[in-house]
Amino acid sequence: MEKVSAEIRDVARKLLEEDKVDLIIGFEKGSLPFRATPCSIRDPKEVERLIWNSGCENNLAVYIPKKKERIGIIAKGCDSRSLMGHVKEKQIEREKLVIIGVPCKGMVDRKKVDRVLDGREALEIEEKSEELILKGHDFEEVVPKGDLLPDSCKTCTHRNPTLFDFMIGDNLDENKEADEFEAINKFEARSSDERWEYFTREANKCIRCYACRNACPLCYCEECCVDNSQPQWFGKSIELTDTQVFHIMRAFHATGRCVDCGACVRACPMDVDLRFLNKKIEKDVRELYSFEAGVDIDQPPPLSTFRPDDQDEFIK
Amino acid sequence: MEEKTVSKEDFFEFLAALTKDYQVFAPVKRDDCLVFAQVQPEDEICLDYHNTKRGVKEAFFPQREQLFSFNLGNGDEDITEPSFPDTKRVMFGVRPCDAKGLFLFDRVFGDKGYEDPYYLSKRANTIVIALGCSQPESTCFCIDNKGGPFATDGSDLLLVDLGDSYSVQVITEKGEELLKNEDKFRKADQNQVRLKEEIVEKARAFLKPSVNPEKAKERLDKNFDDPIWDRLHEKCLGCGICTFLCPTCHCFDILDETGGPKGERIRIWDSCMFPQFTLHASGANPRPTGKERLRQRVMHKFKYFVDNHGEIACSGCGRCIRYCPVNLDIREILGEIQGQ
Amino acid sequence: MKNPYIPIAARIEKVLIETEDNNIKTFDLGILDKEAKESFSYLPGQFAEISITGKGEAPFGIASSPTEPGALKFTVNRAGGLTTALHNMEEGDIVGLRGPLGNYYPIEELEGKNLVIVSGGFAFTTLRSLTKYMLHQDNRARFNDITVIYGARSPGLLLYKDELAAWDKESGLGLHVTVDAGDEGWKGNVGFVPTITKQVAPSSKDAYVIVCGPPIMIKFTIPVLEELGFPPERIILSLEMRMKCGIGICGRCNIGNKYVCKDGPVFTLAQLNEMPDEY
Repeated sequence: MEKVSAEIRDVARKLLEEDKVDLIIGFEKGSLPFRATPCSIRDPKEVERLIWNSGCENNLAVYIPKKKERIGIIAKGCDSRSLMGHVKEKQIEREKLVIIGVPCKGMVDRKKVDRVLDGREALEIEEKSEELILKGHDFEEVVPKGDLLPDSCKTCTHRNPTLFDFMIGDNLDENKEADEFEAINKFEARSSDERWEYFTREANKCIRCYACRNACPLCYCEECCVDNSQPQWFGKSIELTDTQVFHIMRAFHATGRCVDCGACVRACPMDVDLRFLNKKIEKDVRELYSFEAGVDIDQPPPLSTFRPDDQDEFIK
Repeated sequence: MEEKTVSKEDFFEFLAALTKDYQVFAPVKRDDCLVFAQVQPEDEICLDYHNTKRGVKEAFFPQREQLFSFNLGNGDEDITEPSFPDTKRVMFGVRPCDAKGLFLFDRVFGDKGYEDPYYLSKRANTIVIALGCSQPESTCFCIDNKGGPFATDGSDLLLVDLGDSYSVQVITEKGEELLKNEDKFRKADQNQVRLKEEIVEKARAFLKPSVNPEKAKERLDKNFDDPIWDRLHEKCLGCGICTFLCPTCHCFDILDETGGPKGERIRIWDSCMFPQFTLHASGANPRPTGKERLRQRVMHKFKYFVDNHGEIACSGCGRCIRYCPVNLDIREILGEIQGQ
Repeated sequence: MKNPYIPIAARIEKVLIETEDNNIKTFDLGILDKEAKESFSYLPGQFAEISITGKGEAPFGIASSPTEPGALKFTVNRAGGLTTALHNMEEGDIVGLRGPLGNYYPIEELEGKNLVIVSGGFAFTTLRSLTKYMLHQDNRARFNDITVIYGARSPGLLLYKDELAAWDKESGLGLHVTVDAGDEGWKGNVGFVPTITKQVAPSSKDAYVIVCGPPIMIKFTIPVLEELGFPPERIILSLEMRMKCGIGICGRCNIGNKYVCKDGPVFTLAQLNEMPDEY
């Protein structure tokens, strides 16, 4: 990790010194054990702040839309796919973006750490290649990192950035064993009552803080339709039907665009996990249009294009 | 007021007995999540906890609350005013930071001239039995904000866990009234007093002072236009986690919801972090970007509320630190401001 | 404890279309309950929340003067959902009312002084209230010279046209109506409010000036007034902010540590200079 951090700093320093970018968006040490926090660096002298570890959980592509400056950005596999989406959706010109790609074996899910600790607080967390050492007031626990991966990292098939200008370190072998849609296939096999119950249970936890939306690189709309007041499409309270419609709307709006980075699930303070909604749609898009978001810059987004041979069974 | 002790066994018997006349709320595990919920004598109360994710504010100021209901289409204002039930409630296990939130709410909703009956009726009917924090968390900074792991503001009784027993500090007349005929609550002996002092000392020692709100306020009094705000908000995503989970945030929106011939005017939590919060019907917005909105949140807590009520509108519970998706730490913000 | 969120019922007694674009109407509202009507005592500058069940509520300055018998007047520009719903209502329909809310123009302080009223667009409403109040026979002697400078984008967008004509004839009231652009029938001033204010050049001696209008008008009028010698303590403004509760609880209308709904909407420029520039 130290080696990766050092390489990131070197590239960042060079980009700033040579005036190739106005700022670098990366991670610095956070205020809590093992937390990394997004940071912007404009002065080459400050690149020492940049770090890399398995706590770099945020998808930094969220900071890109509407930025006028030339940006150097640290990108994991999923982040780079989101950045590709931004380029395709014309949220930023490719020339204004310098992508510093970092192959990624998966981040640590804070909520899974909390679950392991079950109410105890980790005051210190140490990362050793494949494990995490959690230390608290009167305990020390060693947990394999594999147990702490977010679900989206577990089935990730793009550990290596798909769009980059610099690559830090060597490419990783892609995870060939993971069946991306295994959980979805199982979910689809359940009865509609069971599926509805699951959706209801998750949506019931929602407090409408919009952390999922605001952490999502795709949700860059000037005004979200959920905030629109004329007409007001959605009820604004935490009534179940309103939260359900909100989450369905968001999933639909991410159709053919979501890269399953998991930022929404990680940001949620209430542990709402609606990844299955996005994943189901991702699977449909894959089957219907042979399209995977954020892997081929030349392939147009499926819902923004029309081809005479598109599947159209839904039109009766 | 008087200092008592009660054995844990006797205390929980007392609490169980209270369920006859009161709705008793306590921290319990529901669906893997620690929440304040109404309990029955047979329920298992969770005692090994730092704090609940959502605090107790929603028991006094629900996220969605009906102000009144109405019938539509009669050609007149056919309004049904709400009645305020006098259900008596006891909340056990409230942390002093969350009780402090209520103490601050009392100033907002009980402001002379326009008392808010929705909040005040619930507050008047509720007895708060706080439980001091023998083991604070690393995100706790209550001591910085004129509070502490055993602070009493907003509580009626304050308990400290002494192992087999609780030390009980009576804070208000409401608290005293509750214990009036309880002979199991005895005067604390010297050992218990000493034990309590040790526990209090240990917890306080864990909490290292991190920010100095008074010093920060001196800067906030002058730094509204300071470029520091351009930087401080940069990583903020503008979501509502910090404000919704905050025990002192009380901003709300008022709107009407209708279904068929009936409807209701409700209030729902709102957040100064949302752009719509100050958006005029004309499209103008006095707080157009994240910079102005983060500044408002910090200013409101550490300057405006102090100006208006003489209190810091932050109890140092640390939820906004723990649950922020980008680890934007209010202590660091204040630190940067006071270090300017 | 009185529930401050419950509106009282009021009947729309009259609807007057003020402007040729039909976007501004004045509603006369009569409070139905006799007791509530009597206890609705207000002064110029205060506002009230008009409520339509199912649509919500919104704050409006009270355009009538307490010296006018009968209905309360509200002049409403159609902008959002609530105002559109209100515009679609007719005489006889019932709305809800909460108020009076906020502070008012400092009447006591204005006594014995010369008054200059500068206004633009549909912000004239509470200044109509103040002007009517001061012109009332019981009150006229309490105030010295009154000058009113009022502008709109075009003649068709001027409010209270009949009254303006009547005021023009009143003694002791200097009325200067202007439009940004005239039409064939227009014989009055043409020019922006700040320009006309400069031309009229009201004396600042023993005088207070009260300004209401769109932000752009205020921005350019203030320097003119300062040049004329008005100190910030004698420049009075009424502010608009997004409001909900109207009683200083819901937390959205603050400018610095002041709540526009409760501490305002009327502030002196001296007060505003002490407040952050966030309105």
